[in-house]
Amino acid sequence: MSEPVLRVAGLEKRYSEEGPAALAGVTFDVVQGELLAIVGQSGGGKTTLLRLLCGLMRPTAGTVHLDGHLVSSPPREAAIVFQDYSRSLFPWLNVTRNVMFPLRREREPRSEKLGRVEGVLREVGLEGVGKKYPWQLSGGMQQRVAIARALVSRPEILLLDEPFASVDALTRAELQDLVLRLHQHEVKGVTIVHVTHDIDEAVYLADRVLVLSGTPGRIVASVDVPLPRPREQTETRSSPQFLSLRNELHGLIATREAVRSLAQ
Amino acid sequence: MTTGARRVGGYALGVLVFLAGLAVWQLWAGAANPFLVPTASEVAERAWDVWPTPDFLSEVGQSMKRYVVGFAIAAAIGIALGLLVGASHAARRTLDPLLECLRAVPAIAIVPAAFVILGAGDASRIVVIAFGLCFPILVNTAEGVRGIPLEVRDTASMLHVGRVERLARIYLPAALPSIMAGLRIAVSLGLVLVIVSEFRGETNGLGYYLKDQESRIDYPALYAGILFLGLLGYVLNRLFLVAERRLLAWHYGAAGE
Repeated sequence: MSEPVLRVAGLEKRYSEEGPAALAGVTFDVVQGELLAIVGQSGGGKTTLLRLLCGLMRPTAGTVHLDGHLVSSPPREAAIVFQDYSRSLFPWLNVTRNVMFPLRREREPRSEKLGRVEGVLREVGLEGVGKKYPWQLSGGMQQRVAIARALVSRPEILLLDEPFASVDALTRAELQDLVLRLHQHEVKGVTIVHVTHDIDEAVYLADRVLVLSGTPGRIVASVDVPLPRPREQTETRSSPQFLSLRNELHGLIATREAVRSLAQ
Repeated sequence: MTTGARRVGGYALGVLVFLAGLAVWQLWAGAANPFLVPTASEVAERAWDVWPTPDFLSEVGQSMKRYVVGFAIAAAIGIALGLLVGASHAARRTLDPLLECLRAVPAIAIVPAAFVILGAGDASRIVVIAFGLCFPILVNTAEGVRGIPLEVRDTASMLHVGRVERLARIYLPAALPSIMAGLRIAVSLGLVLVIVSEFRGETNGLGYYLKDQESRIDYPALYAGILFLGLLGYVLNRLFLVAERRLLAWHYGAAGE
């Protein structure tokens, strides 16, 4: 096993001093090149956790280290893809300019930047749409643009916040396979933290699944996913191993929820 | 009926109502005191004579100069302060009481004071126009910035957009639909303030022209001036809408309009 890229220790977040904690005692490591999924229910602190990981918010206790450096503001090595592509892409810029935006301070000729943009657009399966504006593309294509923008600066870690929750089921499957392909080939070595409420999606994509549950949110289980790669929508999803993993995770979340509702 | 035919029908109806309005004016003016209220045909005839004269065009030029300069100053100050107040809680807390107080003052109310301080030249008039137009632009800009979704701010943070860059490259375009709404108000209000500011002082401009015709008891010429202002306002609004459609093509596209 290689060194952890991301170390999360004792993370706690309260939105007001006396208010309840949204997260408490969240501790985990992510190794380089790992594809980690974090599952949990809506309102369970997933987005809070992700915002803490990428330095958009400060924790009330605990630490996040990326490459051995304490994260206190958004680090250059991290990139994020949000659920709502219609808001995270800049609607006043065309596709090329959106994807080129992270390179605006790099001192290289524009032609080289354009080359990089075209390259990364090709990687996400988009060609010939550079001059279009985001609203002229389908939801799935817009999310591909957002992924391209996240990848263009070659981040070490890619954070995905429910990235496929706003698209239809067929597009979702395509985008899941895109993430798998990118992780296996185009940007090999990139570490991915993927937050989702979809247990099947988590098992299908990840090397390991963390279950975030309870109030305040805690990591209640870490389940390895030893499914062979490359994975394939129908074959992988119908394998007995896949089914037993997803049932195990469903069980973990359901039991937790049962305990929680009994306690209330 | 096809859509095209319906549209033509709609335009025809609009033109018909317009002509009916002119007819009512013509008949009413003829029936009332024709000296105090000239008929539409009389005014049209007079407008035809007066509008192309160098004297009249020079009044138009004076008014437009004040309008454009006042508008530009108001836009610069309104957008800059609006971005600041919208983006920063500290700036908002610091500036809000002062701005709210100034905003409550009707621009027309500062006309005498402006003339006392700056005299009856261009400066006092431009100050009145800029003062009055600044607030609708400022308020709309600030509201636009405050309404920018969290995802846009988060994206900017993740892409390491610095403070000044954020105002210019993220907040300004993101708030542009709202800023344009403020500017649109200013386009119409600006004309009001030009005319009002030119009612004072024996100088020039369209406001002075109207007052002058009143004192010369040349009512057809007075109405020709009013008619011209109506047309000018219409043209300015149209030009603004064209500019807005171009600048906000991405916005209207995204909103599915």
